[in-house]
Amino acid sequence: MNINLLHDKGIALDRQRFTWKEMVGKPISKLDDDAFTRVRVVLMNGIESDSIRTKQTALRMNLPLREKLAQLMRAEQHQETCINWLLGPDHSPLETTIAYEQVAIEVTASIAQLEPDAYQSQSYRYALLEDFDHLYRYAALLDRLEGKDANNITQGYTDIIPGRPTLVHHRAPEHELTEPYARDAALGTKLHALTLVSGEYQTHDYYMHFGPTFADPVARQLYAEIASVESQHITHYGCMLNPEESLLEKLLICEANEVWNYAACAQQESNPRLKALWERFLDYELGHLQLARQLFQDVERRDPAEVLGDGALPPGIRYESQREYVRRVLADEVSLRKNGTRFVPESEEGTSSLAYREGINADGSPSEMVSAAFHWTAGTELVRKDPRQERLRA
Amino acid sequence: MQSTRFGANRTGARMSPLNTSSMAALADEASPETHIGTPVMDAAKVAFATEAEAIGSVPPPLSLKGVAKAGMAALKGGAPSVFVDKLGERLAFERSGTRLYEALIIKHQAAQQSGSEALPPAAEALEALPGVRVLLEMLAEDPLATLMRIRNEELAHFQMLGDCLQRMGGDPTAMTPSADVAGVATGGILQVVTDPRTTLAQALTAMLSAEVTDQAGWELLEILARDVGQPDLATLFHGALEQEQEHVAIIRSWLAYLLSREAGTAAV
Repeated sequence: MNINLLHDKGIALDRQRFTWKEMVGKPISKLDDDAFTRVRVVLMNGIESDSIRTKQTALRMNLPLREKLAQLMRAEQHQETCINWLLGPDHSPLETTIAYEQVAIEVTASIAQLEPDAYQSQSYRYALLEDFDHLYRYAALLDRLEGKDANNITQGYTDIIPGRPTLVHHRAPEHELTEPYARDAALGTKLHALTLVSGEYQTHDYYMHFGPTFADPVARQLYAEIASVESQHITHYGCMLNPEESLLEKLLICEANEVWNYAACAQQESNPRLKALWERFLDYELGHLQLARQLFQDVERRDPAEVLGDGALPPGIRYESQREYVRRVLADEVSLRKNGTRFVPESEEGTSSLAYREGINADGSPSEMVSAAFHWTAGTELVRKDPRQERLRA
Repeated sequence: MQSTRFGANRTGARMSPLNTSSMAALADEASPETHIGTPVMDAAKVAFATEAEAIGSVPPPLSLKGVAKAGMAALKGGAPSVFVDKLGERLAFERSGTRLYEALIIKHQAAQQSGSEALPPAAEALEALPGVRVLLEMLAEDPLATLMRIRNEELAHFQMLGDCLQRMGGDPTAMTPSADVAGVATGGILQVVTDPRTTLAQALTAMLSAEVTDQAGWELLEILARDVGQPDLATLFHGALEQEQEHVAIIRSWLAYLLSREAGTAAV
């Protein structure tokens, strides 16, 4: 796909139209579509959601830009609706949660490998092992609460075993921070960080929204616990963004990020209907980028090439199982901890995190209790010998 | 609406044998065979349940004045609050049931427009189902008319219960705890029937759960009415029960008919 971020015009904003019927199209099949189709749907919902969040923040800070921002957000609101409504209503909130964690694992693993900056890549691998553990804990909950196998959702692409235990993810806020990328970092580096902060944001918001809808008290606790970690991840990834970028620079990166993401989706989509949707939205985003470039030039009097380089699209996310990479990271880095912005051996973890953890886990750990002796098995753990049944027989 | 058939279902472990055997080997390595037990989680759940507050309360009678004789004050034995709670539950269930039948009528129309014969007259389906005892005279009416009639009977049950509650000094617009819980339980049925992708047979399967529950609900309410010394109400409720028994028989027989006679059509 030959895209140039400096020159391609896409579809002009005033030609980006929607109807309610089109926005609420046919959902994907939970059973028949490839798991990576759902991964793309979940991620792109997060990307659109964060793009709107960025613009709403900009709207609060800039009077002259408001009309343009409102125009961009109208299109993006409806793009996000098209995407989010692709998830069929037969996904229970817990099944969708499994999908969210698969996104976090597979997308983060791909980005960690694409990232040229060693520190940034380490930051991705660190949070990757935490989301990897969340999948295991939620898989235990899905099995034990709803009697379902998480692998019906993840379709064999993603391992379901413990990672860095969720129990130890809880850190003091000062140890949640990371170093930002340099202002002149490679464009890909900027897009990677923005993509992952977008993904974590929507995951956190999803857990905060659906956690209280569960009746089961342990499910309610598990969502509370993991939502707290996702909140930490938003800070972790959010800190990777450069705080010295101007508002319009952030807008430009945001639009470039959407182009970059839709291009990877369009290239790799196996469902023809969705492939057409990704291609259409890729053209829409090029239209948005064109407007962002214009504003950057007119308002800041700066050349978009300062941010977008030669306009070439950095290599995109690979939508395929990252199993072998994740296993290597797990073997090598599961014992790492945080101290300030540094990744350190377990023995050097920031002491305020230990104190914080002692307090917050004082009444028990939801993630530990839900997954006690949980061993993922195809078809759920009831396929294994059930001790309760054994007792009845005896 | 499309028929249910073999296709590219990707959910099973056998769809990706190499991947899943690799996953299983890793899971074996990461978590050695151990006794499956969740005593800490179980204890936590027991503690939550022990400490939990009620879903809510039953609304007290609006006024005891003027309704004392016919109203809750006349209830004997048992706890009047339980009777009112269950009346509220049936009322809410019948009201939701009316909406469920409206959704089922749409599903029936969609099946017809997708090229299926959809449902036969109830009489034909009842004849075809071995073991079903026909409770009423054969229903030769058009299936849509049957669906509308059942829908209207659910509505009439809702209205009848509203009148009962009103006469007893209760508030038929209030949501009682059991009404709330019944709404949660019915939520999944509503999701199935209103999903445009589900077939008529899948919707009928969900409706069968609703109707069997409804039938048992009326049986219970009739007993409760006698327990609290309200034989007139018990007679009324028995009339509703007979209609619900007919609903169960019709839904069961339609479902059996579709699965055995209409396989491969959009309705199944």
